[in-house]
Parts: sequence; structure tokens; C-alpha cells
Amino acid sequence: MTTKLAGVKAAAVCRELKEAIGAEKVRDDEITLVTYGRIRHGFDAMWPFRKPAMVVFPESREDVVETLKIANRHKFPVTSVGTAAIMLGSTEGGIILDQRRRDRVLEINTDSGYAVIEPGVSFDKLTAALRGTGFKCSVGTMPGPGTILGQALGRGSQSFTTRYLNVILDLEVVLPDGTVFSTGSSHFAGVGSHLRYGPYPDLAGLYTCAYGALGVITKLAVRIHPVNEAYRVLLAGFDNYADAIDYVKELTNHNIPEHTIIWNWHMYITWPLEPEDMKTVMPGILESNFREPPEGIPYNIVSTFFSGYTEQVELYEKICAKVAEKYHGRVLSEEEVEKHFPATGAGFRQQYEDFHYRESVHWSKGRFVGWYVFAEPKDMKEIEQYAAGEFAKFGKAINPVNYYSHPFDYGRSILLRISGFPDPADIELRRKIAAKFEEMYDMAMKRYRAVPIRPVGSEKAGTYMQVLASIKKALDPNNILNRDSGLFEEGDL
Amino acid sequence: MRLTARLDDVQAAASRCLRDARCTYGSWPENRVLCPLYQHDPSFTFSGGGYLFLILALQEKKMEFDRSVAEFAFSCAGCLACDANCNLIRCYQPYAGITDIIRLLRSEVVRRGLMPGGVKTIYDRAGKDGYALELAGNAETADSILFGGPEADGVTAKLLEKLGRPYARLIEKGYITATLYDLGFWEELEPKVKAAWTKMKPLKNRDFIFTSPHSQEFIVNHYPDLVAGYTPIKARHISQVLAEAFRDGRLKSKNTGKVKVSYHDPCYLGRGLKIYDAPRDVLAALDGVELMEMDRNREDSFCCGAGVLGEYIPGLSEDTARERLKEFETTGADILVTACDRCQAAFQKVLPAGDRKRIKQLTELVEERIK
Repeated sequence: MTTKLAGVKAAAVCRELKEAIGAEKVRDDEITLVTYGRIRHGFDAMWPFRKPAMVVFPESREDVVETLKIANRHKFPVTSVGTAAIMLGSTEGGIILDQRRRDRVLEINTDSGYAVIEPGVSFDKLTAALRGTGFKCSVGTMPGPGTILGQALGRGSQSFTTRYLNVILDLEVVLPDGTVFSTGSSHFAGVGSHLRYGPYPDLAGLYTCAYGALGVITKLAVRIHPVNEAYRVLLAGFDNYADAIDYVKELTNHNIPEHTIIWNWHMYITWPLEPEDMKTVMPGILESNFREPPEGIPYNIVSTFFSGYTEQVELYEKICAKVAEKYHGRVLSEEEVEKHFPATGAGFRQQYEDFHYRESVHWSKGRFVGWYVFAEPKDMKEIEQYAAGEFAKFGKAINPVNYYSHPFDYGRSILLRISGFPDPADIELRRKIAAKFEEMYDMAMKRYRAVPIRPVGSEKAGTYMQVLASIKKALDPNNILNRDSGLFEEGDL
Repeated sequence: MRLTARLDDVQAAASRCLRDARCTYGSWPENRVLCPLYQHDPSFTFSGGGYLFLILALQEKKMEFDRSVAEFAFSCAGCLACDANCNLIRCYQPYAGITDIIRLLRSEVVRRGLMPGGVKTIYDRAGKDGYALELAGNAETADSILFGGPEADGVTAKLLEKLGRPYARLIEKGYITATLYDLGFWEELEPKVKAAWTKMKPLKNRDFIFTSPHSQEFIVNHYPDLVAGYTPIKARHISQVLAEAFRDGRLKSKNTGKVKVSYHDPCYLGRGLKIYDAPRDVLAALDGVELMEMDRNREDSFCCGAGVLGEYIPGLSEDTARERLKEFETTGADILVTACDRCQAAFQKVLPAGDRKRIKQLTELVEERIK
């Protein structure tokens, strides 16, 4: 379609939308459009700039339904986004559907243990709403203002997911033709959202990691967890990752941690820094070799959060100390943490005691470049060695080199997420790193049986992507939804 | 921020924005929306991050400077809420807050001659009237310097006389340098600031007493970046002087009847200078005065809207004032007290004439209720 024709069509869609849902919910001024030209979490000059034709801010499910019906009729692309999308690229000249105004917590069910929320609800909003209820929600590694939906659908490495793979119980979905359905137990009239699936297939799974390409989520139910009588965050130090993995695996197999995560020393020191630390702590980190921590700084620490009755927690603490010793590590005293990395202790207290997470100032180096895979525990030990070796080849230019790693689904699968911070202006280096990552994904998949956390190209997923493409065609025959998102990049459906 | 800075200098810092709206709301766990733009129209565009991404788009030539950019640049209230809540941007060079980066955007608008009408009027008037910082009174015998505009401030002067404090005045004539900074009249500002410092420097061992939080915040927080050889002055807001006077018994309250008041923290006194307790201490020292706090208070105070001069969202300034007054009304208080003449004017502007006396300066209330 020519630019002129596209402009005429966009104007018609815009006019129709304003009439249908209200002009105040549809913005097409130039400043709005350019500020929505890149919608991912953070900024990277290498990401394509795609100016939408309009940005729609629905305030109800009906607004979403109307928007999709109009867009579908005109075969006009729609990209649905949250506050800080992880992995989305919008479509040039399309609609961006920004659901941030839909941010009500609709229900907190403390009997079953779930919360029903609108898609714009952030971690900060839900955790604040849960205060005093005796329940807590999972705390994502997204900042507190990030939406729970975005994090859950992108399957970020959430806290408290040691026992699950995902926090989602139920989704309300709108399809391009305006059909509305729920994926979980609430689909039956009058029933709550306590059950993710059954007696039918798990449709919530279809929407996880679909990056909005198969429908627009307008409501969701997420797991919430009781705040028990006692809790503890324990830090254990290890000289190598393999020992840390064995420690985590053994604790997880014995059903002890609600959440446990392995951190490398660059990350556990820089992740929780305060602005003033950027001039004191960060310069030393930037000059260091991430594979050689200074004296007294463990290469890895494992943070383990557990809760229960007081007696149970005291016993768990002893067990952790015993298991750490078995794997050549040791539990760190509060004094030691305070002495060597006080910000880390404060960061964990904030995350686990208040259940909220604020953006870290280590981001001030710019948008990171990250490499993420899942693998079985034994394979992951080798992957860590391999990935750390490859990252080390880039030298200090990408410091801090931060990684964390933790079990999902009771330890059946381990995630490793390793990232570096090259100068955002050094495009050549960023390109080199991107090429290296491709090579690393190939190697990790072939040699170490790894699975990437994000899509790495349809050709690697074989018939899986063919089936997915068939589903996409059935649900979204005009291919209007998130067609240039992470799932079907560059419209490769 | 250096007055010679250009958008190139903040491009990298702007690119650190995570687009996560952290700049728009206040302290955990209440998480109340504080950004007036975002309160009015929640979207990424209408947030501190929106300004940063606009700057990136301008730098990448995705959009040209035009009148809409000018209106938008001046539609930020400058309430400092983004700076108080986003840690990230100021951690990267030039280590400036989002508000300063928006001021830099305004300075680019000014350099291009694209100012919105209201701003242009101020600009023209400033050029016509010239600038002078004049010393009035006997500086030799003064223990304090009352710093302010020519109209400032009869009530404060009376209070200082009652306290028996010998003072002289430094009067900014023509325009207020803090305003020039806020509005991005940066090319005009530098010689004025230098001249002002030349006048202030010999007096720097006196107490500088401010009635305007804007002037005080500008000197305390920005002179170090703008004036070579600047050394800190002893800056005190009038509320601090009054609180101390009540504490040590130099001022005594008289009960002229019971009254419920709410206190509006001016952005520059609060988030800018972190002065939250002194005005409340003064209110607590006044017999018969009961303080009814608004939900959004202290570091989480909501703006009065006075700083909005652009019309990208028509009526935003007035709507912001109304939003705050709505919050005030829910407290059940009779009087809204503030410590900034701009806040007072912004609230009075949207009230019916008969209600305007319900908005009082702290100094006015004190004068009415002391022996």
C-alpha cells in the first residue's frame, strides 16, 4: 500500500475509533506517536523505530473489543503493550493498544489464593493492595512499575516461581473478531479463577510467550501466596557455580525454598546499588574481571527465601547451613554481608520483606545485552562455564557482567540469564555481541541441550512454529495482532 | 545543569529511561500518582519518560522542533516528582534530573524562538525591564538578608521586625532569576547570575531568609553548577525562622478561635529543599489551629499547577489546581495554607472570588494569630 493510501486508511480507522470509544482515548498527535516509536523496556538505538498511526488507551474491556473489531475490519495492525514491554516491536503505522489505564485490582481471594487484576496492574499496585491481607504476590525482576501481565506473559524470571513455571491461573482474552473467552475455571459461569485448566487443554499456556500475537488479554488471575508466621532470607557463598547449583538442587528437591536464586558477584553487588554508590562502588566493578572476585567476595551467592512456622524456619536455616557446607560453601552472616556488600542485604530486605522491587541504578550504564537459556541442572553447569568464557572475551568493555540463575518447576529446569553493559553508543560492539549471541544459542542448543527463553527464529523451532502459525491463522486470520512482535518477528507468519 | 548544555549532552542520559512510569508516582506503598500530566492523562508520553523519548526522537530527526514541541515543553509543571522517584537518569552524566533535562528542552525552544504566547510575554517583559539585584537597608548592621522580589513581602518584613532581627533586603528587580532558569532563558541568565553572586558574596555570612521556595531552591541547588567559585550561603526559609522563634519563645500564639487547616507542600520547598517539618511545626505552635493532612503530602505532595505555561493539554494548569483543591476539600479543613505565593495564586485563580481567602500564606496565618 502506498504511504498516501495508508494515511487515508489510518485516518478512517482513527475517526471510527474516536466515535466508537471516545476521542479522549485515541491519540494521534505527533508527540504521542514518536514517543511510542520504541516501546520496549529501555532504549536501544539498534531497535527499529516504528511510528504508530495512533495510540489507544482503553478504559474497559468493551473498548478493547470495539478497537479490535474496527481494526480487524480494516485489517489494520494492533500491538498491545503494557507499561514496560520486554520484547515487543510495534508495527509501523499501526495501532498501539496501551492498557495502562486499566489498572484495578478486581478481587483478592485469600481462601483459594489468587488475585484477579486488570492488565495494567503493576507489581507495585498489587503488592500494595495485598498489604494487610496476609498474602503476597510474586515479585518479578521487572521494576515495581512493570505490569504483572507483561512479566508473566514474557515469562520473565519471577521470584517465587521456583515451585511453578508461571504465576498465571486464568486469562480473559479478546480475539480480533471480538470474541471474549477465559482460559481457566472462570470460563464457567459464576466460577472463580482457582484452576488454570481442566477439563480442557491449557489455553493460558498458549498465551504465555505469545507476545500478544494470539489475542489481547483484558483480565487475569495470578497466584498469590500466604505470608507465613516466620520467614528468612539466607545468603550462602560459593566459589563456583557448579557447587551453587548442587546446593540449590538439593534444597529444592527437599521442598525448602519458596524462592532461590544464584547470583554472580558483579550482579549481587551492582543490582541493588543506590545512586550515591555509583561513584563509590561501581568504578571498582567496572575495572574488575568478573571471573576473579576480590578476596572475601564469593564468586556466587545463593539467596534462599523460605517461610513457615517459626520452628520450621529455624530448622530450614540449619539445613541450609549443612547443605552449603556439603557443597563447599557457607552461609554468610548478616555482619559479613553488611561489611562487604551492604546494598545487597538492603535490596533483599526490600524485595522479600516489602515484596517490591525498584529499578536498579546499574541500568544507568545503558540498556544491557542479555543471553538467556533454560537447561537441565547438569547441563547448566557446563553452559555457565561456556557462557562466562565467551562473555570474558569482550573484556571490561561490557562490565558489569551480571548473571543470575534459578530453578523453575521444583528444579526440573534451570534458567541462566547473563548480561553485559556495552556502551550504548558503540554500535559496532553491540553488533558483534549480537552475532556472538546467535553463535552461543546454536552451541548451547546443540551441545548442551539448552532451550532459549526468547524466540530465536522460526527455523530453529521446526514444526512447532508451523503448528503455532496455523493456530495464529485460525485466531487472527487477518494477522493484525502484534505481527512484528517477538513471536513472529518482522511479520514472518 | 550547565547553561551551555545542548540536547546532545543529555541524549545518552535520556536513553537510560526504562519506560516504566516510575517517574510518575510517589512513595511505596501508597504509590500515589504525582505527575500532573500523568494524573490528567495517563500515557507514557505524558510522563517524565515521555519528555526523554521526545528528546531522543528530536535528536534522531524523527520529528522536527515545532510549535507543538514548544507547547509540550512548557506543559510540564516542573514539580520535581519525577526527580524524586526516578533514580536512574541522574546517575548518568551530566548527572541531571529529568526536570533539568526538560528545562534544557525549553532552552532549545527559546533559542529557536518558538515560545508559547504566555512564555513569550514573560520573555519580552524580562528583556524590557532589565535585571538588578538591589540591596536595601543597612547591610552593616543586619544579621539577616531578606531575599525576594520587590513585592515581597510586607507580612514577612513585619514578622522579622517583631522578632527584632535587623535585616537588609536583596530585591530582585525586573524578573526572578529562578524563573529564567525554569523557563529556559538560559542565554540571558548567566550574566545575571554572576552579577547576583557578586552582590551576595560579601553578605554570605548573614542568614539569607527566603519567602520564595523557587528562589531559594535555585540558589541552593543550582548556583553550585552555574557560578564559578560559589560557596554555600546560609539559606533559611521563613518557615524555619518562624518555627525556631516559636520554639525559643520569641513568638507567642494567641487563640483567635479554632480553625482547621490543611497544608500544601510547595514543590520547591518540599521536594526541592526537603523542608517539610518547619511549616508544620509553625502550624502546631498556633493555638486553636488543627492540621488536617491531605492524602498526598510531604515528599508525595501533589502540585498546584502554577508551573504549567504550555497549552499542549488545554487548561492543565487550572485542572491541576482543581485536582489539588478537591483533595483539600476531602480533609474537611477550612483553610488551605501554603508557603509559596505561586501556589497561592494558582489556587485562588480557580476559586470563586468569595472562597479565595481560604487560601493563605503561612506568614499571613502567623501574623493573624500571634500576640
